[in-house]
Amino acid sequence: MKAFDISNGDTLSVALFTDVTNSKELLDSMQAGTLEPEVAFLNALLIPDIFPVLAAAHKTLLSNSRGSLTTRTLHSELVYNYSGSKHITESLKRCGISDSSTYVLAARFNGSPDVMKAIAALISGKEIKLEELEGKANVAQIQKHYKIPGPELGISSLADAITCRIAARDAL
Amino acid sequence: MEVDADAGGGSLVLLKQGAEARVFESNFVGRRCIVKERFSKKYRHPSLDSKLTSKRSNAEARCMTKARRLGVATPVLYGVDPVLHTLTFEYVDGPSVKDVFLEFGSHGVVEERLDDIAAQIGDAIGKLHDGGLVHGDLTTSNMLIRSSTNQLVLIDFGLSFTSTLPEDKAVDLYVLERALLSMHSSCGNVMDRILAAYRKSSKQWSSTLNKLAQVRQRGRKRTMVG
Repeated sequence: MKAFDISNGDTLSVALFTDVTNSKELLDSMQAGTLEPEVAFLNALLIPDIFPVLAAAHKTLLSNSRGSLTTRTLHSELVYNYSGSKHITESLKRCGISDSSTYVLAARFNGSPDVMKAIAALISGKEIKLEELEGKANVAQIQKHYKIPGPELGISSLADAITCRIAARDAL
Repeated sequence: MEVDADAGGGSLVLLKQGAEARVFESNFVGRRCIVKERFSKKYRHPSLDSKLTSKRSNAEARCMTKARRLGVATPVLYGVDPVLHTLTFEYVDGPSVKDVFLEFGSHGVVEERLDDIAAQIGDAIGKLHDGGLVHGDLTTSNMLIRSSTNQLVLIDFGLSFTSTLPEDKAVDLYVLERALLSMHSSCGNVMDRILAAYRKSSKQWSSTLNKLAQVRQRGRKRTMVG
């Protein structure tokens, strides 16, 4: 588990889990709005590096501070922003978790150590280090989802290409 | 649990001020970054002003990311703020091509490096033009050389637009040619080397270079007489 300072003292705590067996329950309780504490679950197969997640978190906090969230909660906004698309349902489906997800990144804004312990207790899986993100990412799926053409990868890393799409979404 | 300490929306340090925007250095979630802020012009009507400013910011973000998709290195875009009219980019560590060439002018030309840079410039412009993107402000100060990889990075897409007309592409090259002539004549004929690389990288080089010959005759502005 690791915490990152995003802006003005707000932090994002993230933890990476593999071999998750209860994603269906997590998804159900999240959709019912009974997930306690509130947390964002991201499909970690689409995350080659933590930096794009932090960029999405920065964007989320900015729109939250202006009261202009597009989705219902702060944490669903993070998933939506990470997707780099404007389609909310598709975003949550692809970048969030599904019934069959086994590899998940949990992210929580301003999570105290106690809250993070409660989150780790929710998930039945094995926690692994963030350094594993790069090796486990599904490159083909990322290229397809973010529409990253071959020439771009010649000059840029996958993570940088995703960051650009997250940042530029609202300008397109 | 470990916390990354030195991060967050750190302080802004003013680097440059132009007519359209101010450029600051800052910190974006733990990475060094550049913030480009388009300030409001007090002589314009407020609603027109904010519309123009945000349109230009968005256009710049669009063109930068389009250039990347075409395989031309530009700084990574970190964020767009539609309210403050700011763009946040990656900080590219390295000298501008202008500085490198001026150094050649005063301390002698390193042929190998000059060839490499000219080839990269021609190749990058060829890719942009074939993808239908015109940079609009090609000068040696808008090109950086990343210190770690010697890779050419194009910056400042504030005047960029999409066009497939040979006319627009030729003017783009002409602006660069004039800039090279006035700043870097001591480096020899860099433009020829750039155009040689351009010919290799652009499939539509022939119509653009024909047009360039015409543009050289009359200058950048089209005469609208007659």
